[in-house]
Amino acid sequence: MSQQSSDPTIYDGLMFVSLGAVIVGIVFLIMAMDGYGWSAG
Amino acid sequence: MNNIVSKILIVANLVFSLCFMCFAGAVYSFQAGWRDKANKTQQQLVSANGQVQDLQGQKDQLTKTMTANLTNETERANVAEAKVNGLDQNLTQSIGNLANAEKERDKHLADLLVAQREAQARITETNDARAEIKRLRDQSNEAIAIRRNLEDKNLEMEGKLAEAGMREVRFLKEVSHLNDLLRLNKIDPRDPVTGPVPKVVEIVDGRVKESRRNASRSAEYVQISVGSDDGVFKNMQMTVYRDSKFLATIQITEVEPDNAVGRVVEETRNGTIERGDNVTTKF
Repeated sequence: MSQQSSDPTIYDGLMFVSLGAVIVGIVFLIMAMDGYGWSAG
Repeated sequence: MNNIVSKILIVANLVFSLCFMCFAGAVYSFQAGWRDKANKTQQQLVSANGQVQDLQGQKDQLTKTMTANLTNETERANVAEAKVNGLDQNLTQSIGNLANAEKERDKHLADLLVAQREAQARITETNDARAEIKRLRDQSNEAIAIRRNLEDKNLEMEGKLAEAGMREVRFLKEVSHLNDLLRLNKIDPRDPVTGPVPKVVEIVDGRVKESRRNASRSAEYVQISVGSDDGVFKNMQMTVYRDSKFLATIQITEVEPDNAVGRVVEETRNGTIERGDNVTTKF
């Protein structure tokens, strides 16, 4: 039976940064849509 | 998480997440300009649509107007074409008339040229005739003058003829008287005349017209009013008197038909010879 390491790696940090970037992008899109009153036309 | 595929997917996930974040940020940053541009474009589109509608209305109106005008113009064109056809016919007829008129004109011009030449010839003939008439008039005037002169001479000769007739009658009486005397004295008129015969001096009475002395005042000459027609001849002696007073004796030196000039050969102291003094052959 191999022992599993529980320390976060660089890939975990990258995943966290990716999640933050997605959240920031979604926030930007929400703010932009709010400027149009949630109307695409 | 330890295999290579999972790592690659994590990196790709990171890249796409960052790209999404950048795209969203860019959209949020530039959407205000895009919106303004879109609103402006929308307004321009609305305005353009309004202009298009206006232009469409104007186009329809113009189309109607142009259609009406086209109809009118078509009618006018038809009328004008009919008129043009009529005018063409008239023009054709006029051209024909013009050709005929030109022919007539040429004919008249030719006649006119002939008439001008004839008139020029007539003028020349008239001038010649005028010159001939003038010459004949001059000749006629000369002939009239000659005729009048001849008539004057004829009258003068008739007067002289009448006078000669009277003289003939008188001379016949004298001849008859002399023949009677010859018969009475028993003298034959056919006997020859022997010795000098004195010239017969007729009684001639006249007047002194002028008395003048010559340049050296050595002789005085008297012009009298009787001449050869009155029986005065050269070297004839005549007596000048005034109121029964003897003034001078003159000897005729020059004789004209109606006057004569005499030289004073004997003068007295009873007075000088003046104009109007009497002159006679027998004082």
